[in-house]
Amino acid sequence: MSGGKTLAIAGVFLVLGVMSLIGGESDSPLKPIVITPELKEEFPLKSHHAKLSFECTFCHVGQGDDPKEFTYIGDEGCLSCHQSKEHMAERLAFMDKLHVNPHNSIHDGPTLYCDECHNEHKPSTNMCTECHEHDIDLWMRPTP
Amino acid sequence: MKKEALSRRDALKFGALGAGLAVFGASNAFAAAPLEKDVKFDEEYDVIVIGTGFAGLAAAAKAAQRGNTVLIVEKMGRIGGNSAINGGAFAVPNNPDQKKHGIEDSAERFIADSLKAGLGINHVELLEVIAARAIDAFEFSRECGAEYKLGDKPSWFGGHSVPRTLVTSDMTGAGIIKPMTEFVEKLPRCKIYRRTKFDDFVLDAGGRVVGIMARTNYRFDSKLFSDDLENTTGEKKVYKAKKGVVLASGGFSADRIYRKLQNPQIPDNSDTTNHAGATAGAMLKAFQIGAFPVQVDWIQEGPWASPDERGFGVGPQLNQQGLFKYGIVVDVRNGKRFMNELADRKTRADAQYKILKEAPEAFPVALGTYNTFDKQILPLVEKGLATGVMKKYNTLDELAADRKIPVAALKESVAKFNEGVKKGVDEFGKPVASFNGECIDMKGPFYSTRTAPKPHHTMGGVKINTKAQVISALTNKPIPGLFAAGEVTGGTHGASRLGSCAVTDCLTFGMIAGENI
Ligand SMILES: Cc1cc2nc3c(=O)[nH]c(=O)nc-3n(C[C@H](O)[C@H](O)[C@H](O)COP(=O)(O)OP(=O)(O)OC[C@H]3O[C@@H](n4cnc5c(N)ncnc54)[C@H](O)[C@@H]3O)c2cc1C
Repeated sequence: MSGGKTLAIAGVFLVLGVMSLIGGESDSPLKPIVITPELKEEFPLKSHHAKLSFECTFCHVGQGDDPKEFTYIGDEGCLSCHQSKEHMAERLAFMDKLHVNPHNSIHDGPTLYCDECHNEHKPSTNMCTECHEHDIDLWMRPTP
Repeated sequence: MKKEALSRRDALKFGALGAGLAVFGASNAFAAAPLEKDVKFDEEYDVIVIGTGFAGLAAAAKAAQRGNTVLIVEKMGRIGGNSAINGGAFAVPNNPDQKKHGIEDSAERFIADSLKAGLGINHVELLEVIAARAIDAFEFSRECGAEYKLGDKPSWFGGHSVPRTLVTSDMTGAGIIKPMTEFVEKLPRCKIYRRTKFDDFVLDAGGRVVGIMARTNYRFDSKLFSDDLENTTGEKKVYKAKKGVVLASGGFSADRIYRKLQNPQIPDNSDTTNHAGATAGAMLKAFQIGAFPVQVDWIQEGPWASPDERGFGVGPQLNQQGLFKYGIVVDVRNGKRFMNELADRKTRADAQYKILKEAPEAFPVALGTYNTFDKQILPLVEKGLATGVMKKYNTLDELAADRKIPVAALKESVAKFNEGVKKGVDEFGKPVASFNGECIDMKGPFYSTRTAPKPHHTMGGVKINTKAQVISALTNKPIPGLFAAGEVTGGTHGASRLGSCAVTDCLTFGMIAGENI
């Protein structure tokens, strides 16, 4: 796990720690979230995230302890682990040669919102297919 | 803010809008929009631009360069609308590459070409502006960082009487959009809010546009039948525009409701070459505050598109620079030709619709042989075959069997076409005399695609004058504080826009809006 996320998580513990010290400041201390089979079914994780045994609050930092109330974590959330869009583009730089790097596309550069293509709790979609329905198979694997 | 909380849909449902109009009377038609005295502004700018395509970015760049604070709102997550997926072909009359290669061009020539394609219903004063300032727009885009393939003879696009089209280095409009976005964002106090939808104009008591209502964190939903009418996402915000608003929201080829109202031949489920956000909502708001509508029912459809892929895809080039020339298009039900495959876009799309209305699945089939393809698209032939948009057959019998066309009739059509080419006369008036006898090569192999018209460019929109000011139907004068540029404006191209002239139009009038606001 990257430094950014570790720091963020450390931050949460720090805040919780401080809150418990001053006491009374928080409404109620966070309960650990038990990941039940139902919860797993309702909010499935990507296989690679599941393999790492992610807990809800790794991504939903500071959003309380009720998964039903969690909100979209935005690009900032994704990038707290994945560093930056430029970094993601760099990792697929070998695809630049044919102008098919989805993270640095010829049309958009490294500017797209992550969730334009990637979803966590539902299947991802590939935005390129809007215009490149079939040729996408020539250059890209399914979107993780 | 209570009033704004009532969505347009609710308003219609409860008849509140109708009642409001009745109370204010016809002289106060702009009562349909929220008034300044009833809102509280969240943020304040000199200029607000709606849309991040060629027109919007050019307007913002010019306005910001002149020291204005500028906010650009874009409803999609992505910047650039159709401009970002555009082919990067830019008609520039009197460009340096023409001079270098001894090609004589002039503003008059450009206007004459546009009028011919536009069936003479073009608003000539707008064409004159484009012809005069295309070169400035080209240079301005370069100042912003756009790069072009320069030095060679310009490309010669259909309907232009001389080669005058320059192409971006990466062959997409993004070659202009990406550097222009950076250029705009680097200017002080100039920003782009994405996923921010313009909902309404805010007017002052005198009817001047002084701001906009918008929703931030808007999530466009292409699964909805009409995103404009049904999508309720986002948080309401009100932005003040001290000097004015530029409407640059593009065309409406993806708007199922509005395009069908204008041309009932277009089925609800018809695909389009456009990005999903190409809807009419923003333009309709301008009509609501009095903007004159112009030629809204001239929707240009690409007769060269394929039903076997989404969007623009590879079909258009394989057909346009391929099968449609030395090849033919037939009705699969009887194997007969039914149009001049090189006629203007509307004539061809109408001919296709005649068939598709009778049999919605009977997509006309184009066929030809290897000599059909222009050299520059040879690499696409492989792509077309790999993706299944185009198929290859050794014999006409194979082709007819696979495409389910009566084989004897198909063979007769091919023979008849070939004879016509040799004689120099075609039954549908295709200019075969210029083919020098080149036609469908009977030894094959044969290539074929299925064709379907797809809405591509909406010619109509709001009426602007040569300063990009929007003209009011209530006064026949500019609506104070409202400018518009790009595909959302109407009249410039008349009945049909020539290929590569949209970039010219959008950048030029975007620039002009930014200069005048
Ligand atoms: C596939 C394709 C290829 C093309 N190739 C060429 C070519 O090579 N040469 C040529 O000259 N022309 C070409 N055209 C036509 C040309 O690209 C368009 O006419 C042009 O891009 C329109 O530019 P615009 O700035 O007016 O609108 P757009 O570029 O479409 O931008 C409008 C923007 O406004 C946004 N918007 C709309 N409503 C709202 C709202 N309510 N709130 C906030 N934002 C809103 C949209 O999401 C969009 O991003 C092509 C078109 C297509 C579809």
